[in-house]
Amino acid sequence: MADLAGILGADRLSDECGTPILTPRDAAEVSTLLEAASKTGLALVVRGGGTKTNWRPEPTRCDAILSTAALVGIVDRQPGDMTLVAQAGTPLAALQAAVTGDATHHQRLMLDGVGGEHATLGGILATRAAGPRRQRYGTPRDIVIGARYVTGDGLAAKTGGTVVKNVAGYDVAKLLIGSQGSLAVITEVSLKLHPVPDAARTVILQTTAVAAVTDFVAAVRTAPITATVFDVRWPDGVVAVRIESTPDGAAAQIDLLGGFAALEELSSEAGNALLEEHLAFPFSGAGAVLGVGVRPEHLGTLLTAIAAAGGLFVGRATLVAGDIVLPDLDPERITQLVQAVRDMGGNVQARRGVETHRLATGAAAPGVASVEAAIKQQLDPAGVLV
Amino acid sequence: MAETTGALAVATQARAIVGPDWVVTDAAQLRVYECDGLTNHRIVPGAVVLPGSTEQVAAVVRLCHEHHVPFVARGAGSGLSGGALPTEDGIVIGLSRLREVLDLDAPNQRVRVQPGVTNLRVSEVAAPHGLYYAPDPSSQQVCTIGGNLAENAGGAHCLKYGFTVNHVLTATVVLSDGTIVELGSEAPDAPGLDLLGVLIGSEGTVGIVTEALLNLLPKPEHVETLVAMFPSTETAGDAVSAIIAEGVVPAAVEMMDRLAIDAAKTQTPITWDTEAALIVELDGPANEVRSQFEAINAICKRCGADAVQVAASPEERLTIWRARKSAFAAVGQLSPAYLVQDGVIPRTRLPEVLNGIRALADEAGLRVANVFHAGDGNLHPLVLYDNAVAGEQAKAEAIAMRIVELCVDFGGSITGEHGVGIEKVCSMPKMFTGDDLTAFDRVRAAFDPVGLCNPGKLLPTPRLCGEVPGFYHTHRVETAGLGERM
Repeated sequence: MADLAGILGADRLSDECGTPILTPRDAAEVSTLLEAASKTGLALVVRGGGTKTNWRPEPTRCDAILSTAALVGIVDRQPGDMTLVAQAGTPLAALQAAVTGDATHHQRLMLDGVGGEHATLGGILATRAAGPRRQRYGTPRDIVIGARYVTGDGLAAKTGGTVVKNVAGYDVAKLLIGSQGSLAVITEVSLKLHPVPDAARTVILQTTAVAAVTDFVAAVRTAPITATVFDVRWPDGVVAVRIESTPDGAAAQIDLLGGFAALEELSSEAGNALLEEHLAFPFSGAGAVLGVGVRPEHLGTLLTAIAAAGGLFVGRATLVAGDIVLPDLDPERITQLVQAVRDMGGNVQARRGVETHRLATGAAAPGVASVEAAIKQQLDPAGVLV
Repeated sequence: MAETTGALAVATQARAIVGPDWVVTDAAQLRVYECDGLTNHRIVPGAVVLPGSTEQVAAVVRLCHEHHVPFVARGAGSGLSGGALPTEDGIVIGLSRLREVLDLDAPNQRVRVQPGVTNLRVSEVAAPHGLYYAPDPSSQQVCTIGGNLAENAGGAHCLKYGFTVNHVLTATVVLSDGTIVELGSEAPDAPGLDLLGVLIGSEGTVGIVTEALLNLLPKPEHVETLVAMFPSTETAGDAVSAIIAEGVVPAAVEMMDRLAIDAAKTQTPITWDTEAALIVELDGPANEVRSQFEAINAICKRCGADAVQVAASPEERLTIWRARKSAFAAVGQLSPAYLVQDGVIPRTRLPEVLNGIRALADEAGLRVANVFHAGDGNLHPLVLYDNAVAGEQAKAEAIAMRIVELCVDFGGSITGEHGVGIEKVCSMPKMFTGDDLTAFDRVRAAFDPVGLCNPGKLLPTPRLCGEVPGFYHTHRVETAGLGERM
């Protein structure tokens, strides 16, 4: 550890509850650090804002934390090309503010700030975190157009680029997104930006009948409606649709929605507050948190299963993906829900709770597991990144 | 030659797997497979095997693995970067028999298809349900889904809707040792690595797709299309920037220069007489489209369009798109031979790059037609040449390469949708450092440690490109003790 601190200088090493924190200033230092750690057999955990560290199981060992806190700032922004390049440790909120703060260009960065104001760009990617606006804009895999990264043994490399369309080379960013920092340290990210629409309106359907929810969702799904947010909150019984368009376009879509069910329109402030509330939902309350995804047809079955297990759900109505909070951390209920989702052919990922991780972590299919292991071996041969 | 024996040995044993009718070893028949859409590269393969199921593909790949015989998957063979170019000691695994639409699940808006199904067919089978498949490469009538996944195919409408990678849920894949895996998930947010994301666009170097589950979209309620005639590509480029600045994301923004228009006129009844035609299409909810379309119409006029034609009917829209999509092939009417190039630039650099291309063309004394996806800066310069004139093909190839390298100089990419294939392997070091390429090579090695899956494509090799600085490393074949460097 003294060696690693020596690489960075004493001021880049701090200590948290007995675990040293290394804070490299640039990709070159990350590279030197990882190369040295590879040779000495150290285990490092990469950390951005530290807002989603419990989205993964506790590491079995951790000699030091590699913090991206010093890898901050916008590297390049091209409003005409609607692209942005930023260092991975930059808080997403700061990036969003910088983009939307430029009043002349009316653009925005459509990654959802899952984890709050401290969540970093790199952390959002590493955890593949996405919130309500994925309904229209997708997840990090749909918004990232390139990245710079340092492999576990210190190779500093680039994938993709800064143009929105590009198929040269492997899309390594796809591998890094969702890899929980286990393959490489992401140091810089290129992103697509989107225009800010002129109008945003939110309507909600309030019902505690599952069939009323699924009927409404099915009707909207096939209707000419482009929702930015289409969320269900359950068992509260709220379905929210946010339309962002031209004023005319939004008005027509809101009218159309009103034909499917009796809806209430929220004020602009209330609509924004609902969005924030849904974004923060997986961090709310106490207890176990599970991220779930099922096929569209299973929305109703999922809602019923969640209510039966005493869980709370906020998620995307048509994808179907979202988060379940189980307030009482009861292993039996966690198991019951995990099984129910798997019976639907769905996916479960533990978000919070050591027990949740133990109960919700499944094994990859044998052939897939071998490829995953081979990728880990190729990108982090010494197993530095844990 | 030991290698030929290897391919023939695989072919002989493959007869028992796929049936004798589905193995090609006859020299004349093998020539059918000597090239794909990049016709200036031709290599006759050792043998061709045409499996009829996932299991047969896996069994044939296992044979190749046992005999250390390289293989390349082939769909329609319409690729433009030589991605399906065979090796003479290798096997072509043709997927043309796997062309069933297996299951259309309209309520969940998805369709399961075999890799030999054409792109357009997917939208055709989805149409009765009000659905369609968004990626629409210009070759969509013939190109197949397997090839679309290999190349991460885009098309005119990917500006708004994204590429193949944004529309595939799962893929059944035969890996380089014959293992069958299911990548991706029918439901969102699968745990584990996004292997499907790296497979798509891997140009057949990490495995062979034998089935895919595709996401379908509801057909847009309303579509509006216009063609604006500009006095120059520069003014048309200004209009593109102005449209983007307006905060509109059109479904497509395409540009054709005069030479490309002249070519298209030989195939379609268009009367455009202008230096640059800008095609803009909007789709979505009717009211939104109508208000944005008015704004775009005004922008085009403000930016100097001499005339704006609005498609008044679906037929007129079809004619516009036929003109655009036929432009590549139509250039064949203007020139005995031509190369299709594919480069990307930040769209704000369009005027500078087009001037650069013109200068390169003038310098070489060759004509270059430009047809491109202006909205996302994806250029398709077509370099016209006469292959009967000695040295002209080499000159055209050199210009084509200099054009993509110019794109890189302006912060772009050597390929937006056609892939690196064999054509651009030696341009990869222009865009990526030795360390970048080493990292790519490691990803490849994770999927294909022995190097049998479409070797020589996507990444530069010393044999093809000379030593790339910083890129020397022990080849996997050496590490495995299967061969040594001369």
